[in-house]
Amino acid sequence: MDTQFAVQTQSLRKIYPGRGHGHTAVEALKGVDLAVRPGEVFGLLGPNGAGKTTLVRILATLLRGTAGHAWVGGYDVAKNEQDVQRIIGYAGQDSERSAYFRLTVRENLLYFAHALRGVPIRTAHERIDAFAAAVGFTDQLDQHFTALSGGQKQLVIVLRALLHQPRVVFLDEPSKSLDPVTADRVRGFLVEYARQHAVTILLTTHNMEEAEEICDHIGFINGGLLQFVGTPREFRHSVTVQETVEVTLPDPEPFLSQFRELSGVSHVSTDGTVRLYCQDGFAVLDEVVTMLKQAGVKASVSMVEPSLDDAFSILVNSGQEVVRE
Amino acid sequence: MSSGIRLFYMAVWRTWLTLARYKVNFVSELVTSALTGVGMLLFALAFDAEMLQRTIGTTNAASFMIMGIAYQSWQGVALWSAADMFHSELGSGQIDYTFTCPFSRYVYIVTNIAAMALRSTLFFVPLFCVGLWFTRSTVTLGGLALGLIATVLSVGALAQMGACFASLVLRFQQVSAVFGLFNFAFQFLTGMFIPLQLLPAILRWVGIIVLPMSFGMDLLRHYVMGTRTVLTVPAEWLILVGQFLGYALLANLAVRALERSAREQGLHYL
Repeated sequence: MDTQFAVQTQSLRKIYPGRGHGHTAVEALKGVDLAVRPGEVFGLLGPNGAGKTTLVRILATLLRGTAGHAWVGGYDVAKNEQDVQRIIGYAGQDSERSAYFRLTVRENLLYFAHALRGVPIRTAHERIDAFAAAVGFTDQLDQHFTALSGGQKQLVIVLRALLHQPRVVFLDEPSKSLDPVTADRVRGFLVEYARQHAVTILLTTHNMEEAEEICDHIGFINGGLLQFVGTPREFRHSVTVQETVEVTLPDPEPFLSQFRELSGVSHVSTDGTVRLYCQDGFAVLDEVVTMLKQAGVKASVSMVEPSLDDAFSILVNSGQEVVRE
Repeated sequence: MSSGIRLFYMAVWRTWLTLARYKVNFVSELVTSALTGVGMLLFALAFDAEMLQRTIGTTNAASFMIMGIAYQSWQGVALWSAADMFHSELGSGQIDYTFTCPFSRYVYIVTNIAAMALRSTLFFVPLFCVGLWFTRSTVTLGGLALGLIATVLSVGALAQMGACFASLVLRFQQVSAVFGLFNFAFQFLTGMFIPLQLLPAILRWVGIIVLPMSFGMDLLRHYVMGTRTVLTVPAEWLILVGQFLGYALLANLAVRALERSAREQGLHYL
């Protein structure tokens, strides 16, 4: 263990034992080495089922790794569970209903902060007011939890994770159900909070914009393996050393297989707009224009700056290990 | 302040807030409790007072019935309170947050059950008072105090049972049929409606050994109504204390086993 890290794992593996007849064991983590420095906001990216939540759950003491080691704040999560629990905050995935519906927001936060975390009542009230003011939530403090929208509930759950001033905070998809305005406000609050209080935040997200905006470093996990650790900028460039050609077509379907067969194109993604990833963008651009011209189809074709989404898409589909810092 | 005390009074606070917020419901529950006591008087009319005299040495069928039904308030403490709490925490995902907090799960469960027990007391009291009214000739202040101490001990043992049941819920998720079995046992094997002495020996011993309500109720009736106990009074106290300690140990082991299992599989898989 290196004491300079707030969170560290070494060859961490997790195998879920198969339950019942016909259920096989699932290896969710296949030897993860991770190191997060104190005070940084670290984003864990990866597709569904990649192992993000399993990793966060092990670090938050909810699960035990099958092999390897994990430390939080210098404490071994397997051996010093209560020490770890004392210094962490946690907001789980899909946990926006995880409070008492018949209590108000303030009562809920007070209960969790004082009863479960030992924050003195007066301090808890002060922090509730301060946090609510910071995210523009003061007017909702006296509303019943049940009366809040899904996004507002999620916001309460995120605030709950911070009320006892933890040293390390784990947030599993914190902005999943927030509207863009609230998500923006919460992101701003989290970054400011982390900077002011030297808190380490490890969050999982599918939201590339979020990762780019608030994370100092990101880790990309896929198939139980950590395939990349670095800054968002490094992530984008390390994966997309390739160039990207963007084609906007009314009906791209008939062209997809032809695009994939073009020489130099390593990967094609489509979500309305078709993106072709290649080593030589000019050459591919030329071929695409020729192909569309021959087919008599008018389309917008351009070379674009690779985005974090592109990097995510390429990594998920190629499964390649790209860079480790 | 110890986390156990803090967890307890905050659980009481939370329960009270919810209870007091819905006043019509709260008042109706209290009235229903008192009315049930009055209703039991009608049942008592059909009771064979001579049989009662022969079996436990009293003809006060009214108090016998009412104290039995009042004790039923605690049945839910053992069977449903913690189990319901965990079922709901499991469904909402709150249990993940709870399990990342630095306190003993066992203490968390037991303090929450204790808070629910306190809530149940609110509904025990009106019913109990109706029963107490008919014991004016037998009750003494000291007797009442001893009867209530036996009740607290009995409820404490039930709370430990509740922790075992809560672990069952987390482990097996659907356990209503298991609860149904115990529900039956609580109603018919504890002496709630008929004296334990009238049960076939094997059922009587199941009620005595397994269900901590039996001697709590028996001792309460003894001290308040002057009834004869099933075993000697010291033996009943001893068994009651043994049940409390035994179930506390069992609950501790059950919660630890649950925690181990949860860390292997994940709470969301339980």
